[in-house]
Amino acid sequence: MAKVSIIIPTYNVEMYLEECMESVVNQTLKDIEIICINDGSTDGSLSILKRYEKQDPRIILVDKENGGYGIGMNIGLEKATGEYIGIVEPDDFVSLNMYEDLYNKAEAYGLDFVKADFYRFKREETGDMSLVYNHLSKDPEDYHKVFDPSANPQTLRYIMNTWSGIYKRSFLEEYHIRHNETPGASFQDNGFWFQTFIFGKKAMILDHPYYWNRRDNPNSSVHNPQKVYCMNVEYDHIRDILMEHPGLWERFKGMYWFKKYNNYLGTVKRVGHEYKREYVKRFGAEFKRGLEKGELDHSLFTEASWNRIQLIARDPDAYYQLYVLSPVKVVRLEAKVVKLEKKIGKLELKAGKLETKAAKLDKKVKSLEQKNRSLGKQLKHIRGSLSYRIGRALTYIPRKIKQLLFGR
Amino acid sequence: MEPKVSVILPVYNVGKYLRQCMDSIVGQTLQEIEVICIDDGSADDSPQILQAYAKKDPRIRVVCQQNQGAGAARNRGLSMARGEYLSFLDSDDFFETNMLEKAYQKAKEAKAQLLVFRSDQYHEDQDEFVKVNWTLRKGEIPPYRPMSHRTFTGNVFKVFVGWAWDKLFERSFILEHGLEFQEQRTSNDLLFVFSALVLAKRVEILDEVLAHQRRNNKESLSNTRERSWQCFYEALQALKGNLERFGLYRELEQDYINYALHFSLWNLNTITGAKKETLFERLKEEWFEALGICGKEEGYFYNKKEYEEFLEIMS
Repeated sequence: MAKVSIIIPTYNVEMYLEECMESVVNQTLKDIEIICINDGSTDGSLSILKRYEKQDPRIILVDKENGGYGIGMNIGLEKATGEYIGIVEPDDFVSLNMYEDLYNKAEAYGLDFVKADFYRFKREETGDMSLVYNHLSKDPEDYHKVFDPSANPQTLRYIMNTWSGIYKRSFLEEYHIRHNETPGASFQDNGFWFQTFIFGKKAMILDHPYYWNRRDNPNSSVHNPQKVYCMNVEYDHIRDILMEHPGLWERFKGMYWFKKYNNYLGTVKRVGHEYKREYVKRFGAEFKRGLEKGELDHSLFTEASWNRIQLIARDPDAYYQLYVLSPVKVVRLEAKVVKLEKKIGKLELKAGKLETKAAKLDKKVKSLEQKNRSLGKQLKHIRGSLSYRIGRALTYIPRKIKQLLFGR
Repeated sequence: MEPKVSVILPVYNVGKYLRQCMDSIVGQTLQEIEVICIDDGSADDSPQILQAYAKKDPRIRVVCQQNQGAGAARNRGLSMARGEYLSFLDSDDFFETNMLEKAYQKAKEAKAQLLVFRSDQYHEDQDEFVKVNWTLRKGEIPPYRPMSHRTFTGNVFKVFVGWAWDKLFERSFILEHGLEFQEQRTSNDLLFVFSALVLAKRVEILDEVLAHQRRNNKESLSNTRERSWQCFYEALQALKGNLERFGLYRELEQDYINYALHFSLWNLNTITGAKKETLFERLKEEWFEALGICGKEEGYFYNKKEYEEFLEIMS
């Protein structure tokens, strides 16, 4: 059994495919199988794959009619025989030690999956490459320790991707984790990713970048305005899966809506102008329903996001006017609000300090008053005592003389 | 070859309207159909009219049964049907001649398990067609597919109406889940329709008026509800039972309870005669509680007016 099966779902990527294949066939981990699914490419992708297939017996090439990403990926998963599964998009590439390192980690800790940080890159026309390092988690504490994603919905905050890690095949089989197969749809990695987290018991993330994700391919579905509602279809699919399992929906519904919100925001930006208004309307209607059913978790959102959700649910047209038609102004205003909120926070802190000070002073005054009262009592007591009165009598004449001489 | 659509038509004392109804069925542009007429023990000339049609058209089958209500009649028809899709029509309504062709075509295209088309009302007294928007609430329907009850953005039970005649049902889907009509006098289709609605993975709509519902008809069942005033409650309870059996009750409880309140109030407000008082008392003393409406906070209810009406009845 190969240690890792690497699945490469391929559709019209002739420009990038060789770079991808070179990085996979030259992995330092030699005991791998490479499953290339040609999803009915109409360019030279298939002939490139055929060439590699001839040269490398570890490559399994499946050529099929175009059916979409999900179907292609699922065929790859069915064909795979390795201990672990890796996924490489054919316009991306990987570091040569990626699968050796990930395999060793997964084996050492008995993980359902292990994922690593990655680069997003663009190649300029000059050939220069611009790179951005992406951390799966903002918190360095999250790395290099075994965690249980099924019990910690918050880990769904880690950046969504399916390709920067490997998954134990027996884990994927146990929960029958597959991709949505709706033809013509996109973003079907979201559902796969969601499932690995809701079912996974032992996982780890690594703060080392092994995967190079291309961001300049104009054919990528991230840039396709036609596929307006694909994200909604995918999130419907994810909800169907959560609802199949008692308890899962209750545990994950908050994060479900949180992720959905961020993905829908991205969709509003992504789709063409002619679709935005209708999209915002649907966005609002879905969130209105979620709010009515009490499924959203306020505590997961920032105040600014929560206010936006209230607005889009109540009045999608107003939201459209404000955030889609004049977003720059709004972003500036929002920044201002955040600044003012910070200022208010500081002032509140100051006020709090002053209040404690005042309280302390108040206490002091009270204790002084008490002291004063008790001194007064003592004085009265002394004045009423016999020795005081005798003393007064004895000093009567000398005091009178002093009065006559000096006045009072 | 199996027919594309099986039309199932329960008939009970509708001699006056039956010819118009039958003409609009046999004249359908979709010809690969079968028509199963179940005479539910009519006392008028309805069976004779049906026999006359059957003689002329081999696609028509007529069955007679002792009066058992439309629910039983529809189940009888369902068990006889062989079509790819099922159409349950009412014998006092009438239809556009291309209704089945258009509905079937759309359903096939979408591989729909349930298809809902638009209809209007024919007010007989004024000889007028009146548009209605609440039989198919477009605003709550997603602009993408696949569509199921989970993709609606309003109460699942109010996006369409719980009657069967403006819908097509995929027969294999109905059989797979063993769905049947409730055998009672009125509200016998609610259970069947809403069960199909929440089970269907592929629901489709056709936003074209294809059927005309006759209103103001004195003999129509909705006008004789006084004799069957408790049927709606039985239908609601049976629906709850099905939702529980499908494992969907928890998910749909809020929609169900809101719908139960809505439907109870509608029944109370439209019933006439002596039973109105009985129904009022029963709702107040027993049924609102049994339906789970009592004890919910105001925010639980989608419709504030209905909630206030409920409070008033309970006070």
